Amino acid sequence: MNCTKLELRSYPPFIHDWKTSAKAAWICSATLVPVALWSSVLYGRIAVVTWLTAVAAALVAEAAASALTRRWTLGDGSAVLTGLLIAAAMPPGAPWYVPVASAAFAILIVKAAFGGLGANWMNPALAGVAFAYANWPAHMREYVLPRFVAGVDGVTAATPLTFAKGLAGGLDIKVMDALRGASYPLSAIDGAVTGFLNDSLFSRLSARLPDGYIDLIIGFKPGALGESALLAVALGSIVLVSLRLIKLEIPLAMLAVFGLLARLFGTGLPGEGFLAGDAMFAMSGGSLLLVAFYMAADPVSSPVGRGACLLYGASIGALSFVFRRWGAFTEGVAYAVLVMNVTVPFIEKAATGLRLKRGGVA
Amino acid sequence: MRARGFKRGGVPVDHRAPFKTGPIENAFLPMNAIVQLREHRCAVEPIPVVSVGQEVREGQLLARSAGKASSNVHSPIPGIVRRIETTRTSGGFDSKAILVSLEGSFSMLGKRPERYLWKSLNKADISHIVQDKGIVRVSSGEPLYEILSERSDAPGFVMVVSALEMDPYRRTEEELLALRAEDVVDGCAIAARMALPARIMFAVDERIEPATLEPLRELAARSELDIAIQPFRRRFPQDLPGQIAEAMDIADPGTLFIIEPSTLVALHEAVVSNKPHIEQYVYVGGGSIKRPAILKARIGAPIGDLIEECGGFSGHPETIVIGGPFRGRAAADLDAPVTRTTRAVLALSPEETKSAPERPCVRCGDCVDACPEGLSPYRLLKLLRSGRPDDALAAGLGRCSSCGSCSYACRSRIPLVRYFDEARQNEVRR
Repeated sequence: MNCTKLELRSYPPFIHDWKTSAKAAWICSATLVPVALWSSVLYGRIAVVTWLTAVAAALVAEAAASALTRRWTLGDGSAVLTGLLIAAAMPPGAPWYVPVASAAFAILIVKAAFGGLGANWMNPALAGVAFAYANWPAHMREYVLPRFVAGVDGVTAATPLTFAKGLAGGLDIKVMDALRGASYPLSAIDGAVTGFLNDSLFSRLSARLPDGYIDLIIGFKPGALGESALLAVALGSIVLVSLRLIKLEIPLAMLAVFGLLARLFGTGLPGEGFLAGDAMFAMSGGSLLLVAFYMAADPVSSPVGRGACLLYGASIGALSFVFRRWGAFTEGVAYAVLVMNVTVPFIEKAATGLRLKRGGVA
Repeated sequence: MRARGFKRGGVPVDHRAPFKTGPIENAFLPMNAIVQLREHRCAVEPIPVVSVGQEVREGQLLARSAGKASSNVHSPIPGIVRRIETTRTSGGFDSKAILVSLEGSFSMLGKRPERYLWKSLNKADISHIVQDKGIVRVSSGEPLYEILSERSDAPGFVMVVSALEMDPYRRTEEELLALRAEDVVDGCAIAARMALPARIMFAVDERIEPATLEPLRELAARSELDIAIQPFRRRFPQDLPGQIAEAMDIADPGTLFIIEPSTLVALHEAVVSNKPHIEQYVYVGGGSIKRPAILKARIGAPIGDLIEECGGFSGHPETIVIGGPFRGRAAADLDAPVTRTTRAVLALSPEETKSAPERPCVRCGDCVDACPEGLSPYRLLKLLRSGRPDDALAAGLGRCSSCGSCSYACRSRIPLVRYFDEARQNEVRR
């Protein structure tokens, strides 16, 4: 059969779904804009600089890769998304070369060197972040309090998770009380919202929300740029899920397993017994939600198939818990995803139970 | 009755393009009719019985069937045979075509149709008429007498009269059920006399108008046939035999004989009105057509004429498709002729095709969710691209029905089904 180029373009089906890889990446990027805006409100100029340098570095790296491979790929949106995700994992005020190097590593080494979009077996953004953690551990763990909380710019403080990790055992106090004791201020918004929720909703369920959680959710705490806008991240996740752009099974299984384990075994805080862990503190602190919906569910580096996705998500949830509970650093979620990225071929095979005669198919 | 549907995958086709219903109009007669002799890639070519320069009447035999899958071909218009030559069809294979220029007087148009009482005819008589008049199954192009006699050798099958048109455009078969229900049920009785099905099932869309369904139900009850009317969910590819069987919990799709109302109308006209298969109901539509309509067109009419009759283009169409949007073929140009298998001509706008540059697979899994056969198209493609067609076959490539759901869903616009078709063609050749 003679297959000219014209025939290739005109093969059925002639209509398509609205989704394209490029649209998916651009929509993902767009949902991160509120996150960037909120963190910029919280941290001011230093946040804006980090967001912009990360995205610019990602674009430059992608352009360089395009030039090397003679394939113009800036339009597929994946570079911008990688840049945004790297910025989201940066602490506010990280020196400019940290996001730049991370983005360059992510795009050039992790993505382009393996054959570009679709061929990378690790999530580029996460690999870039891990690169930064390995290279500049001090810069990556130097957090500041948002302007509203401290009153002035640049007051250094540990993140709530790191702080909680540092709490010695034996003290029989709740983590929130300990945070207050360590002079983490409680914002007026937290007081008002918590009071309102307690009066209107929780009192009827004979429950009570302790002070401090609202501050964690709206970002009035030290943390990476992406963590500070938990509400915006949640909103973006809802958009991604409702447009069916990500594999919902992965974040669901991951959060369920993580929450369950945190409840069962505690987060390592004093004052927690077995079966009484502070799951809410564990879930709202750190970048768990962002990683779950934007990085673990990244299609390229995750498995295909419902069963495989559930297994993959559950494994990430369990691993993140182990890393965070007993590991050296609080940000174990990123490493959990990277570890599971490597095992994707095995997970797919285990889940589908397929046996191929010669070798495996990744 | 509860609507049935296949169990997994598929593409939702909830929205139907706006369309004005009404009586089906006759298209103008073409000045030149290009009559293709073969409807099918595998058909033996019929032998022309006319010569260049010869005058032909409307409905006169142009070529005689010459073996498997070939059928008699008649002149759709009165005129003069101008050329007999081999051309490339829009289906991608070569076929001899006879060009007839309009001239002389009409013998059928405007004349009161003859009406024979077919009930006195026996199976052999009917079979002879169907063969003589060159009736083909509109959905596949196979000669009707051939497939009906094959079926009559193996009784116990279910005859499915399928008015399922699972795409956002066509509704010719539903319109025929509404406008010519009597002829369809009568045609059904004729086919049943030839092939003796165990039972007959009318497969209709779940959202069919009650005004269409009720008279049909009455006619079915009044006929002496065992006719059931079964609604099906509107989801592509519900119209494929495999998916109809799956929805009906029938293990072997081979026990279904699927025929569409338009074929039954042609059959009815052949037996009752002595009319050869020279007309075809064509849905002309798509976002780039001004006034979508169903036209009763003569075989051989250029599709450009039909488009003009529907008000021409609005905007610039990206592709012109002959047949459905999922499984049809792209028309090379507007001179492509209507054949006995041309069920639709669609001029699709860029908003409908949503074409985009092909990109590498991003493993989103949308193709896996779309496949009605439960295959993993992305994996099959990977196996084929790494030169392992045997492993692809072991992974289920043979079950692929080329429905195109995976290509429809693919975010990276990879023409998956094209690779699968080619791989299977190579397999056959080996």
